[in-house]
Amino acid sequence: MYVDIYKYILLFSIFHSSTYLTFSLGFSMLFGVAKIPNLAYGSLYILSAYVMYALTTYIGLEPLVAALVAILVAGLASLLIGEVVVKPGLKMPVSVFITTLSVAYIFEEFFRIEMGLRPITLPVYPGVTYVLGVPVSNHWFLILSASLLMFLSLTAFLKYAVLGRSIRAVAESWDESRRLGIDPLKVLRVAFFVAGVYAGATGVLLTPLKALTPTAGWGPLFTAFAIVALGGVGSVTGTLIASFIYGFFEQSMTYVLGSGVASISPLILIVLVLVFRPQGLMGRVE
Amino acid sequence: MVFAKRSAKDLIVGKIPFLIALAVLTLLPLLNVGGFWLDVLTKVNLFLLVTLAIDLYSGTTYYLNLGVSFTFGFAGYSLALLNVYYGIPTEYSMLLAIPISIFFSLAILLPSLKIRGVYFAILSLLVPIIFIGIVTAQPFSLYLGGEGGLRFKQLFLDFARSLPPGIRLTFLQYSYYYISLAAAVVGYVIAYKIGFSDFGFMLRAVGQDEELAEGTGINTLKVKVIGFLISSAYASVAGALYASMRPPVTVDLVVPANTLIPPLTSVIVGGLGTLIGPAIANYLLLLTYELLWGLIGRWRVIAYMLLLIIIITIKPQGIVFKAYVEARKFLRGVFSE
Amino acid sequence: MSEILGCEKVTKRFGGLTALNEVSLSVVKGEIFGIIGPNGSGKTTLLNVITGLIRLDEGRILLDGRDITKLKPHERVKLGIARMFQGMRVFPYLPVYLNVELVARSIYGDVRLARARTSWALTMSGLLPEAGELPIRLTPYKLRMLEFARILVSNPKIALLDEPFAGLTPDEAEAMIGLIRKFNSLGVTFVIVEHKLRYLMRIANRVAVLNQGVKIAEGRPEDVVRNPQVIEVYLGVS
Repeated sequence: MYVDIYKYILLFSIFHSSTYLTFSLGFSMLFGVAKIPNLAYGSLYILSAYVMYALTTYIGLEPLVAALVAILVAGLASLLIGEVVVKPGLKMPVSVFITTLSVAYIFEEFFRIEMGLRPITLPVYPGVTYVLGVPVSNHWFLILSASLLMFLSLTAFLKYAVLGRSIRAVAESWDESRRLGIDPLKVLRVAFFVAGVYAGATGVLLTPLKALTPTAGWGPLFTAFAIVALGGVGSVTGTLIASFIYGFFEQSMTYVLGSGVASISPLILIVLVLVFRPQGLMGRVE
Repeated sequence: MVFAKRSAKDLIVGKIPFLIALAVLTLLPLLNVGGFWLDVLTKVNLFLLVTLAIDLYSGTTYYLNLGVSFTFGFAGYSLALLNVYYGIPTEYSMLLAIPISIFFSLAILLPSLKIRGVYFAILSLLVPIIFIGIVTAQPFSLYLGGEGGLRFKQLFLDFARSLPPGIRLTFLQYSYYYISLAAAVVGYVIAYKIGFSDFGFMLRAVGQDEELAEGTGINTLKVKVIGFLISSAYASVAGALYASMRPPVTVDLVVPANTLIPPLTSVIVGGLGTLIGPAIANYLLLLTYELLWGLIGRWRVIAYMLLLIIIITIKPQGIVFKAYVEARKFLRGVFSE
Repeated sequence: MSEILGCEKVTKRFGGLTALNEVSLSVVKGEIFGIIGPNGSGKTTLLNVITGLIRLDEGRILLDGRDITKLKPHERVKLGIARMFQGMRVFPYLPVYLNVELVARSIYGDVRLARARTSWALTMSGLLPEAGELPIRLTPYKLRMLEFARILVSNPKIALLDEPFAGLTPDEAEAMIGLIRKFNSLGVTFVIVEHKLRYLMRIANRVAVLNQGVKIAEGRPEDVVRNPQVIEVYLGVS
């Protein structure tokens, strides 16, 4: 019996971690480039899920097409948020805190009015596969492979593409990158779009397994916060490791304490980490 | 000192807006404004204390403490727990809740004071989030009321029951209003004294150049801790009073959207560290928010947030304080004629 | 000749870099002691260690024979170590008199004493007319004077100046030299860190030379500039 629980924890911490990873990657990259956390990031998660819901239920689009459209919408919305709300306040981080938070509440309130508080869900990829004797929905494998693909493509993009390298340069230093002939604001635009796509993709992938309400954006946002705090701002490897620490810790706690307390136990871990290692686990000492 | 002296005219002109505001707020209930607006004003008065809490600490030191809503809500929960589990009447448990909440805020947030910049803000925002998680999670929710909250007897309820039925509600509304007004006035005067004392300027020095402050002899840690203590005291008093008037206590008290964003917005729109600016903004913004309810109903949250984004984006900070300074210049012109 | 400030084998490392390597100094009461060295030689780090803004890894700091290695910066200021920072550091949004008064208030318990000391310090540095202004409206020279007033107000035994002549015209530098000499004759010991040697060589009684965190020479200014090692690492470069 105990062996089963260990298998369960191990398997599902990998699955959950992969979703945290995709969601946090965009947040971390954006945080690194803009130097300011975008509190409206969670809204993109619910936005893409609601868009896909509307497209599949009201218009009857194929789930795959609807998902791609929804992800694109999230990317464009993120771009818009960056242009209209974040860019004017770059010099004053406090005001960006407020404005992005306001955007998050606008989305939440809009969906509350239009869709109500009733949870919605999206079509699941059908079928069950047994892994180590544990039944796992095929949808989890879809999520896992999509996450892996997104992680690898972002890593490759940041490492080899010219634009990706500019993103890293701007995250390093705005002044330096300007001297190298890079336009930080242009790079910021790219970062916003990519981040929006990653948040949107997570929303579309995860909603079939977790019901969606207008307030569902906050959980992922704080998870991303926590993971970035743990892994260090803008560090891809740090985000990868932190996501798995977070997922494993959360899943183990779920079996020890029950799902209620477990959802906040990683946050407590983060607070402790921040207090004792303010620069994060992977962050550099200044 | 010569250069610190202000003329008598300056003092009079400076106090006139304050006295007018005080007179209006004191006399307003007598104009029969209605129960709804009396409730709203009571709430706005108490939120002034939260606004001042944020401005006194975050507005001067630029350490953005988003844990204020935790302090506010923790005071409410302490009050309810003392009342429900120890049978202490609301009137006394309210007073006991204040030091308890201050103590826990310091204990939880003090270790993070050494963290600088945006990480401090993130960390302090996690504290109310964790608290909400604990209150609504399984074993604890049984004792802390969960989503439904903790019920208790509201302030002065026993006394009100001894009155004739027709005036019970009116009595409660008026007494709450004047208590909140007294708290707001005393709170503002004390905040002003602190904010523009040498200690208040030391807080500002920490905000402007912490290393320099440390290197020129200011005990920055002590200054930050005392500043944090004062700020927590303001949030605790506000939370205890607010909760005592509106049972049951629920996580709504801690949710940043309810008890952090409105005061924080007032501080930014009002002008960081100016105290008078955030105080005026507190009344303007919160009353606007309530007015919108009558105009556009449930779209008001969206309209309000859009308005905020526009104000903050176009005129990043301190619009209210700048307007106030202009108004005073105008007043001074009128008086010198 | 009694020692007022002593550094004993002070070592400070940042990551893999050794910013200060077993630096020992002995500053005598009443003298003007110069510290020179090329950029990045550890001069400012040494001042940070002396004022306590940076914790050292090894070694001791002594003030008047008392071990102050474990004391906090503000405690050291109270004991009589005052510091002028590199690059005109002031509180930009506090009026001139408050820039000075806050220092006084954190040193003296008595408000009236603090105010009196503030007025005196502002008078001595010629800032009384600008006392109510914000520092952004001051000229570079007046800003230096503001920093000087901040040193005077704490009634220090020893004042550490980090590049006090940077950004000043020759006339203003002469005035600064005059002020330093005046308060030196009134009993204040000075430690002056400078990148440029012109002014320092005129007022310093003794000079130490730092290079890459190591003290390579110490002695009278005229002897030090003739030291071949100093010429190689420092004068040869500039």
